Amino acid sequence: MNARRVQALVRRVVEEIRRDRPSLALLFIAPIILTGLVTFILREGSTPVVHAVIVGTAPAEAPIVDALEASLRGAGATVAQAPDEATARASIADGSATVAIVLPAGPLSASSRTITVVTNGLDPSGDATQLAAVQKALLGAVTSAIGATLPTIEHTSVYGTPSTDQITNFAPAIVGFFAYFFVYILTGVSFLRERTGGTLERLMATPVRRSEIVAGYTLGFGLFATIQVALLMTWVLGSVRVPAIGPLPAFSVGLGVAIAGSPVMAFLVVLLLALGAVSLGIFLSTFARTELQIIQFIPIVLAPQFLLSGVLFPVSSLPGVIQPLAPILPLTYAIDGLRQVFIRGADLSVGALQLDLVVLAVIALFFAVIASLTIRRDVV
Amino acid sequence: MADVDASPVSPSTVEPAIRARGLVKTFGEIHAVADVSFDLVPGRIYGLLGPNGSGKTTLIRLLTGMTRPTAGHAEVLDAVMPDRAILSRIGYMTQSDGIYTALTVAENARFFAATYGIRDHAAVLDVLKVVDLADRQQTIAGTLSGGQRRRLSLACALVHRPTVLFLDEPTVGIDPLLRVEFWAHFRQLADAGATIVVSSHVMDEADRCDELLFVRAGKVIARGSGAELRQRAGTSDLEQAFLAFAGAEAAA
Repeated sequence: MNARRVQALVRRVVEEIRRDRPSLALLFIAPIILTGLVTFILREGSTPVVHAVIVGTAPAEAPIVDALEASLRGAGATVAQAPDEATARASIADGSATVAIVLPAGPLSASSRTITVVTNGLDPSGDATQLAAVQKALLGAVTSAIGATLPTIEHTSVYGTPSTDQITNFAPAIVGFFAYFFVYILTGVSFLRERTGGTLERLMATPVRRSEIVAGYTLGFGLFATIQVALLMTWVLGSVRVPAIGPLPAFSVGLGVAIAGSPVMAFLVVLLLALGAVSLGIFLSTFARTELQIIQFIPIVLAPQFLLSGVLFPVSSLPGVIQPLAPILPLTYAIDGLRQVFIRGADLSVGALQLDLVVLAVIALFFAVIASLTIRRDVV
Repeated sequence: MADVDASPVSPSTVEPAIRARGLVKTFGEIHAVADVSFDLVPGRIYGLLGPNGSGKTTLIRLLTGMTRPTAGHAEVLDAVMPDRAILSRIGYMTQSDGIYTALTVAENARFFAATYGIRDHAAVLDVLKVVDLADRQQTIAGTLSGGQRRRLSLACALVHRPTVLFLDEPTVGIDPLLRVEFWAHFRQLADAGATIVVSSHVMDEADRCDELLFVRAGKVIARGSGAELRQRAGTSDLEQAFLAFAGAEAAA
């Protein structure tokens, strides 16, 4: 490999991207806006309002209805009563209530009594919130009706604190995914242009080696990936308070996500992932003839990783049949590695992080070799 | 500019710079190049002439080692292609411009120079002067006109002073005045000892070549100077000559 030729390639790649402002915006600004939005949703998401209707007319139920009503009101819900289930269902249908609690016509303490909870059904996750609120209120009502006090449960964890905002768990996954996503798109499209614009043909007619092309791309895009990840990490981890100036209220810049470990270590994980994405982009451009086809690979290549590597669902919660797929996806290791650093505070002495780094490096190297082998494709 | 018919080099006394030996290239059912053999000597301009899809580009790609032959082999400067060491002595102007549209004129030329290990800015400036783009060095290549792009493309193929030059449709989209200058430059390079292979489907350019190879359906159906080919076909017109040879080939 000739260092000067690689240097010429790197300079060219960097110059091209530097002049391409939409791509720069995609690379640097889009992840910042998107992480900001996700954080905002997770942190500031509003709790759904509960409008409960209680159906329970038997005299024996009076104490429990009162206790339930008090418990629900205590949790911020509005409470109404209905004579029967049909009326309650009508209230939910017309939107005046969100949940109905139908008590059995007999003492609650008798065995095999069923309390029916009716929800709207159009929004399953919203219904789950309603159900949880009702369950909590019922538990409170029943315990107060029988004059008992429930023990409180306190949840602690070995790593991190379980009650901190969800973004602490989400941020590592988001940082990894965006770095992967944007670097793949940019490299794939750039290399496709190289193929379709005739410059690759011309390059192949020069003494440049295929491995030098992959090295040039990896270093060139690696530079932008480095800047992207550095910016994104600063944004996610940083929190700079800007004082109120004139009519502007005080605000803070940066998401201020807590990180237990070293940002440098997290940076290393994402960088290895991004370098793998460069080679993946070059490799997949072999199978694309248009830029649209590079986009069409997203559902095939990126979406499964989004679903299976622990971004949204923990790998351990995946169905047994598809769980074996997780260990072959690069993003699985990046997200695990990032969570190790963010939440556990892992450094290089931690075996799990060592494994993640080694696997990511091997994957990057593997795709670099595959990419250089497939650069040349006879045009039919 | 030298007279086109005045090249004194006799093929028998000079070692060929390019040899094709039984070259075959098939893409599935299609025979893009079907058993082509020839020797091309230095100091001459050869014209590959034939309609679109006749196999000219595939033939050039086989000679430059860009694609591997199904059978036979190509030699350039005594090396069997593909041969990386020889690539630094070959200039290849592709049919598409093959330039980086986001880079400036000078950056394009400097980049391709660097791929050949040339870091000399003077060499880059020289070649840009040849194609009349010296005053457009800082222009982004994407904003150039079609003809200017073609000129930049040529500059990138010449920047390392190759001794064997393959030019695939070099004059497409170039105005007549510049076309004359292009050919004058090709002649200069040939006189200095370069072997030049130009593909074209424009017959009126053909007479600027020392020798023509008529290509049809992947075969070289006739070879000779423009005058010779016209004489053999008994016509005063190259186009008619091509059709006569093509007809004879089809009948055979």
